[in-house]
Amino acid sequence: MSFLRVENLTRRFGGIVALHDVSFSMEKGEILGLMGANGAGKTTLFSLIAGNLPPSSGHILLEDEKIDGRGPHRVNRLGVARTFQIVRPFATMSVLDNVMVGALYGRSRTLSQPKAREKCRAILDEVGLADRADLPAAALTLAGRKRLEVARALATEPRLLLLDEVLAGLNASEANDALDLIRHLRDSRMLSIIVIEHVMKALMRLSHRILVLHDGRKIMEGAPAEVANDPRVIKAYLGETRDA
Amino acid sequence: MDQLASTQLLLSALVLASIYALVALGLNLIYGTMRLLNVAHGELMMLGGYTSFWAFELLGVGTLWSMFGAIALTAALGALCYVTVFRYVVRNRELAARLESNSLLIFFGFSIIIQNGLSIAFSADQRSYTYLNGIFALGDARVELNRLAVLGVGAAATAACVLFFRFSRLGLATRALIQQRDAASLVGINADRIQLLVFCVGFGMAGLAGSLVSMTETVTPFGGFPYTISAFIVIILGGLGNLTGGILGAVLLATIEIYGVALTSSAYRSILVYGVFIAILFLRPQGLLGRKMR
Amino acid sequence: MKTRIFSLAGIAVLLALCIAAPQMLDAYSLGVALQLLSWIALTQSWVTFSGLTGYVSLGHAVFYGLGAYVMALLWQSAPLWEILLGSGFAGALLALVIGYPALRVSGPYFVILTLGLSEFFKYIVIAVEAGLESSGRLIFGAPDPETLYYIMLLLAVVATLLTWGLARSRWGAGLRAIREDETAAETLGVPVTFLKIAAFVISAFIPGVVGAVWVLRTTYFEPMQLFSPTTSFTIVTMAIIGGSDRAPGPIFGAAFIVLLSELLWARAPHVYLVILGVLLVSFVLFVPKGISGQLAWLMRRRRA
Repeated sequence: MSFLRVENLTRRFGGIVALHDVSFSMEKGEILGLMGANGAGKTTLFSLIAGNLPPSSGHILLEDEKIDGRGPHRVNRLGVARTFQIVRPFATMSVLDNVMVGALYGRSRTLSQPKAREKCRAILDEVGLADRADLPAAALTLAGRKRLEVARALATEPRLLLLDEVLAGLNASEANDALDLIRHLRDSRMLSIIVIEHVMKALMRLSHRILVLHDGRKIMEGAPAEVANDPRVIKAYLGETRDA
Repeated sequence: MDQLASTQLLLSALVLASIYALVALGLNLIYGTMRLLNVAHGELMMLGGYTSFWAFELLGVGTLWSMFGAIALTAALGALCYVTVFRYVVRNRELAARLESNSLLIFFGFSIIIQNGLSIAFSADQRSYTYLNGIFALGDARVELNRLAVLGVGAAATAACVLFFRFSRLGLATRALIQQRDAASLVGINADRIQLLVFCVGFGMAGLAGSLVSMTETVTPFGGFPYTISAFIVIILGGLGNLTGGILGAVLLATIEIYGVALTSSAYRSILVYGVFIAILFLRPQGLLGRKMR
Repeated sequence: MKTRIFSLAGIAVLLALCIAAPQMLDAYSLGVALQLLSWIALTQSWVTFSGLTGYVSLGHAVFYGLGAYVMALLWQSAPLWEILLGSGFAGALLALVIGYPALRVSGPYFVILTLGLSEFFKYIVIAVEAGLESSGRLIFGAPDPETLYYIMLLLAVVATLLTWGLARSRWGAGLRAIREDETAAETLGVPVTFLKIAAFVISAFIPGVVGAVWVLRTTYFEPMQLFSPTTSFTIVTMAIIGGSDRAPGPIFGAAFIVLLSELLWARAPHVYLVILGVLLVSFVLFVPKGISGQLAWLMRRRRA
């Protein structure tokens, strides 16, 4: 039994096929890298898994339980949390209150506020935002907001975490810290993580396995070294980014 | 059923549609480019109406001339509003975060100020005057010349605006701004200038509509509100920010209103109009012709 | 801790004054106090929904008017308390029925939709009344102003406690998250549809009761007046001026505007309204958190 199984997933927007017949599976505690040029369908895939969009056809199973077509808050309660590529903080709420929302409502459903607060402070400490807990979220830097996205997602106590370009826009040392954080999260919680990343080197170092999307189709899946040397990937991915 | 097929009803619907189209156009432009909801639109119409009323009463100037004065006055007011308030609102990060509701509240404040300012200046009396009231016979239908003037000027002004925004360089830039604010500024469109233009045109068209309406209806300080509501219904029917959709919306609302009232009774006019509006939003939350949001 | 004791003491004194008021005030002042309490109750109710979720309702007059209508229809056919509760439930029920379809619509669509709904029901009631050949309903034997005052005081206190409790509860966190970013909220497990409808229904109950009490006060039911959009607008203005994110806001807002209206309304109604418009614009532009938010900020700054 695989932890997550995605079967023949297709999503159309009007006449455009954003995702075409994509299947894959992953195991508990695995870090899966998701690669592809802009418009390859990576974020659409996240939106489908997290329930933000219903699939046009196909299924998504989390430990053999069907999670597609349920709506994002139910999917979250089953243990899937995502971050957004373009961060979406609750701007006027404090950093702590942002994370509290995840703790109070997510899979953990910590109903007692003092307990939730305690838990959220611990998470903020883990992601390195403890000293900014009482600032409004709007006051954070971009790196801070990306950490906040991760912290909020963690507070829901996910089993599967979807990270959408958490490194983009960070400088080298911030990105390194973020990589360490992701590894730490996986090790400390046996989390399964799917990562979308444009920084190739980082993705190669981080992922156990990599899946490559091109124009909405899966063109290959394999160990980082395999993927990096595959002529199809080089042509589809690198060729296209060079054009852009 | 004979009555429904009459030219008279068709003409009434067209006259009403031309006013709605004109009113909705201004609302739509401002919403489309800047996401500002101008609930003071009906009050601007009343300003235009008063301009024409006083021009006629004091100077003996006909509406077909004074309407230019009404346009100038309201357009100038639009420029003033933009320069003093909304340029700041759009640029202020905190205010812009909830632009739609904030703008709605600000314009609502303006509408109260205009309504009561007009009351203080001109009293709450209903004002009307007689101008171009000759009867024109068109087949079996008889229609006052001033209604024909409303239809003619209203349709011409709406068409001119739509053509301007469709074909001119500035119009193209405006539509680019409506489509994609961020991308538009990237390709070197001067958003500030366009926003100023849109305020002038949007306000000016409301002034024109009011000036036209003053020939056939009474003008009062508080008479603008129903027009604001109708204009909102029209642009929601047509899809917010969709200029040609607004014209369709205007024809649709005017048809429903005129024929619905002819079929039932004028007592049901408001129920009918609001009912259609609610039904459409309940069934199609993005508006009749609107695209899905987000 | 010290400020807490102070504010608790302050609230106790204020409440004692409110309870003693009918013994100290003349009939006119009692009327003003009644008005103030009714606006506090209405604005608090609005804040529990619109203030927290950011879905601006311009249609709260419909719940108020409906409550008044229920009272006008049922008066003397059942005990006062039962009709009052019935009026509240009528408002809540209407909110429940229109809530699901209406709350699928957001932003400007929602604002105009609520206004449209409120006007729609106003004209329905007018048509029904015309069909029944009644032009306005007089209410005979209404309770004395003092009784109405205490009922209204109770409503204002309950509405305030509701806002206060909701704002700091788990639901409050969810509702605020919806206000800030609905998509992010539902991705974190917040059941947005349920919460929005629940808050809408809760915020419709008290306005229903307030409307019922108010029609007993005026002893005359006239739909144009009781369903007037001016009621909705005034509520929004009070909430904006007072601050719409916390319980003290509506109290400040209502007190401020009732006071202003007392000073100016009778002498120069249009001047009063122009000033109201200027205030609304200025607060949105320069004091977006309202009087209460500004005070809280000043206090925090003084402490820091």
